[in-house]
Amino acid sequence: MASPGRVSGSKARVGVLCSRVRLEEKRIFQALRERSVPFERIDARQLTFSLGKNGSDYVGSPAICSSQSAIPFDVVLIRCLSQTRGLCAARLFEQQGVRTVNTYRALKTCGDKVLTTIALTEHGVPTPQTAVAFSQRTALATMDAFGYPLVIKPPVGSWGRLMAKVNDREAAEAVVEHKRALDGDEPVYVQDYVAKPDRDIRTLVVGDETVYAVYRHSDHWITNTARGGGTSVCPMTPEIDRISRAAARAVGGEIVAVDLLEAPDGQLLVNEVNHTPEFHGAVEATDADVAACIVDYVLGCIEP
Amino acid sequence: MNGRQDRREDRHGEVTIGILGSRIRLEEKLLLAALRQRGVSFERIDSRKLAFELSRNGSDDGRSAVSNLLSAIPADAVLVRCLSHSRAYYVTRWFESVGIPAVSPHAAIATCGDKMLTSAALQEAGVPIPRTRVAFTPDAALEVIEEMGYPVVLKPLFGSWGRLLARVNDRHAAEAVLEHKKRLGNYIHGVFYIQEYVDKPGRDLRTFVVGDDTVGYETIATIYRSSDHWITNTARGGEAANCPITPAIDLISCAAACAVGGGMVAVDLLEDTDGQLLVSEVNHTPEFRNSIDTTGVDIPGRIIDYVVEVAMDGKSGRWRRRDGCRGPRRG
Repeated sequence: MASPGRVSGSKARVGVLCSRVRLEEKRIFQALRERSVPFERIDARQLTFSLGKNGSDYVGSPAICSSQSAIPFDVVLIRCLSQTRGLCAARLFEQQGVRTVNTYRALKTCGDKVLTTIALTEHGVPTPQTAVAFSQRTALATMDAFGYPLVIKPPVGSWGRLMAKVNDREAAEAVVEHKRALDGDEPVYVQDYVAKPDRDIRTLVVGDETVYAVYRHSDHWITNTARGGGTSVCPMTPEIDRISRAAARAVGGEIVAVDLLEAPDGQLLVNEVNHTPEFHGAVEATDADVAACIVDYVLGCIEP
Repeated sequence: MNGRQDRREDRHGEVTIGILGSRIRLEEKLLLAALRQRGVSFERIDSRKLAFELSRNGSDDGRSAVSNLLSAIPADAVLVRCLSHSRAYYVTRWFESVGIPAVSPHAAIATCGDKMLTSAALQEAGVPIPRTRVAFTPDAALEVIEEMGYPVVLKPLFGSWGRLLARVNDRHAAEAVLEHKKRLGNYIHGVFYIQEYVDKPGRDLRTFVVGDDTVGYETIATIYRSSDHWITNTARGGEAANCPITPAIDLISCAAACAVGGGMVAVDLLEDTDGQLLVSEVNHTPEFRNSIDTTGVDIPGRIIDYVVEVAMDGKSGRWRRRDGCRGPRRG
């Protein structure tokens, strides 16, 4: 039986895992078509995996059943909106010997702010001062020690949801108590508030290349474009390039967006690393062909 | 073996063990007693009182970062007895990041805390598991269940003590359980983990394993858990009895412990109708109160002996962190 994850003929077989097809996925499909690469859109909602005993064969039977075929893929690009499905599917694809981009490890690390900050710190990448606490009392003591203002973020979450800027002790008490009511088991992730200009910098790293950098502007302290911030081109500097690639390497990310904050003293700090970047806002601001970069990188991952 | 034992006892006084937990149950009392009996110094670490800094904007070497927030933690190894999976998960990741080994290690806590990750790790290591399917929507799950045939067992990805395990004997039950899971939402119930029902002989096996890739693995005790109910957890009324450790039991238990990342784990085994052993679950912070008298094995003592070895490795700098998210084995 052919082992999954190997190219059996001359044609590579690329899977793109997603539930919804956004503009980003459409551009990726287009780039694949332009290169005449056969690909399959794998709908996570119809995907199932099989493990364990199968007749007398316990191990390694290729058993990825997707909507259209059971043909093993050479590489699967994870573009799931749902963090849960993306993570779970990546791990099970890997178990079946299929290469995924990003890898499970990178998805897991980027999907959790505690794990991200630890990985960045381990690799010497500068971040805002950050702590994690496991009870209301220690969370408050930590925040008093840090000083206000600061930011509380849910370890797992995106699009700026449930991020709280806390300007004083009273706000800290209120937010921490609400967090406890929502999920008593979740640690409190506390970060120094960086008094940045009304913008942050988002870069896209593909492989070991920083493809573009854009400013995200907003009057609100949350500059996420999903929350209504505007975008403009940010001139690439050696420092932006260096820190972006260092952040990607630290989390094991191959296609990631890196959010950078400019501290008042001019130092760049890595705020977050996003494992399934949206890039349509940036494409309008820059002339980078992001989809082409992504597709070329993914094709380069296929073992001969 | 005796040489190692002597060396260990000579050096019991040299290391400090951190006991991470919030509540002192019977298990923790027994572990503390074993520490005292061996003259090993220890420090209780209440996980609820912990806070630590993740960033490091200075030149300190990590160890000093241990003491940089609320309390100093002078430990050469940490024995994890947290009831909260989330706390155990994050705290071990951080301890290991600053060079302090954890038992069980972060890799085992991450893997055992999620049944999908456990199955993937076991299968990668060639350890037999029941036929298992994973789906992401109720519709896909129902299709898979119909294809597998009844009965099947639906399990939440997280959870212990047999909670929310559902044995599904027909399509109507499948539809009902899936609809309830859909309504529950969230990560635990958004992934449908479906396993064949293994027709076991009114009992399963639980084995306790200590070890890692450096010191090796050892099955220290095994019990049968018998119950009229298909869920045999002793927390749910299953009765424990001693089970002789056969070479087959020892091998599959140690292989399972190794697959998930080692440490101090309990491996649940099922005997199928052919007599084949299958691993159904691996638990990273097991309760063992019902297994000491049953087996006559000093389980807390054996755990402490192992943790002291890990601490000695931690102190001497021999210990190396194993990645919590291992990639696929290739080639």
